[in-house]
Amino acid sequence: MKCPPLWVSVRIEEHERKRFRLWLPLFFLWPLLAVLLLLTLVCTLLADLFALFSGSRPTYTRLIFGVLGLVGETRGTEVFIQDKTHSYRTVAVTVR
Amino acid sequence: MGDDRTRILELLAAGKITAEEAARLLDALTPNPATNTGPTQNSASDSATSGTETRTAGAPPKFLFVKVLSVKGDNVNVKIPLSLVRAGLKLTSLIPKPAADQINKTMAEKGMSFDLNNIKPEDLEELIESMREMEINVDAQSGDTVRVYAA
Repeated sequence: MKCPPLWVSVRIEEHERKRFRLWLPLFFLWPLLAVLLLLTLVCTLLADLFALFSGSRPTYTRLIFGVLGLVGETRGTEVFIQDKTHSYRTVAVTVR
Repeated sequence: MGDDRTRILELLAAGKITAEEAARLLDALTPNPATNTGPTQNSASDSATSGTETRTAGAPPKFLFVKVLSVKGDNVNVKIPLSLVRAGLKLTSLIPKPAADQINKTMAEKGMSFDLNNIKPEDLEELIESMREMEINVDAQSGDTVRVYAA
């Protein structure tokens, strides 16, 4: 499982002048979310134990790890859109 | 391919596109490049997709690139990690069976006979490996180009 993205950069330019740049430091967010994740994992483990005893397939904890893995794999995504026809706007989103 | 290059040069000569746009369009025409540079940008602005997309022989592709170049100057460039596709498809194995059956049934009704339960990790790796040779080039009559490839 990869490390989740550390920051997201959003840049919007209009007429080649920088209008808006947002830099989201996600690395501040992950420690805070870790507490929530821990609580969620406790709940999913209990749910899986219940599912196991009732004969169902325990999938909740795997689902949480799967979602975490999916979030980690978004690192490296880049979207660049340049509209010169209508608004001469450039939007760039980078996930690192 | 030679006709496309001639058309681009004619557009440039007629002043309908700039030299930068012509260079981008000509780059997009290059078949199976060994190295490919991301879209060229003005020095004043940062490039969102900087860096080179180098295809290393033997290594599986890491990113899926979708590039749309318009003669009017509109430009869309998307770079998606292929491992995201892998992780997403692995999650399908966690879909509860009743829900998976419902999805399969709905897809079959729409004409797509595709069973989510049959997706195996080895098939997925084979699919991603074969994407290394995939390249989709669409050249519209207006001069717009669309390129989809994995590198």
